[in-house]
Amino acid sequence: MLLFRSEQHIKRWCRQWKRPRGGTLTLAQGWKLAQLWYGDRLDPQWRSKTVTEAESVFRRVGLVGQFWKLST
Amino acid sequence: MTSLQKAPDRFDARLRLFVYRQLLRRQESPTVSEMAKAFACGQKKILASLERLSESHAFMMQESGELWRAAPFSCIPTPFPVKVGKRSWFGNCIWDALGIPAMLGKDARIDAACGCCNLAMPIEIKSGNIHSGSGVIHIAVPARDWYKDVAFT
Repeated sequence: MLLFRSEQHIKRWCRQWKRPRGGTLTLAQGWKLAQLWYGDRLDPQWRSKTVTEAESVFRRVGLVGQFWKLST
Repeated sequence: MTSLQKAPDRFDARLRLFVYRQLLRRQESPTVSEMAKAFACGQKKILASLERLSESHAFMMQESGELWRAAPFSCIPTPFPVKVGKRSWFGNCIWDALGIPAMLGKDARIDAACGCCNLAMPIEIKSGNIHSGSGVIHIAVPARDWYKDVAFT
């Protein structure tokens, strides 16, 4: 997961790496995702998220659609 | 994400916290040998525990058995240095770099750069918000394939 100056730079990177364009998120979405994903990591009771919980986090950040689906 | 919902056993939970505490204090991950010494046990027990902790990919091990990743921290240098006060760590990617201040609830400076042209793109987190920084985050691999090649993802 990389940060780019603009959509144009993402397109150039995809061309250079011969990769299809993936998913994008704003920096604000990335920050919210980081908070929801890592905010509890120092909790002694921490356990990794279920697929349902992880998908719920993505939805809360506005990351929806096939690209963000973990369940088959 | 095979064992996401599994509650870790007590030893694994203690080792997980030990790794994070050491990372926070020393700004580097403990070695397997140091973990074995701290827990007064053999390295085999530590390696088995790290393997279980790696099932969810929150931890990942190098071929040598030493830690490569204790998310959001990278145990090896990356292009995502994160400075919190006088301390600094590395994130594995931009998500993880943001994850370090998110996890610690601290102000931070992330010395990110454009993935395409390497132009410096610093990000400052202050009081729980993005204080400065810009850009678009791109993830190349669909979510269900993230762990097929974590280094590339």
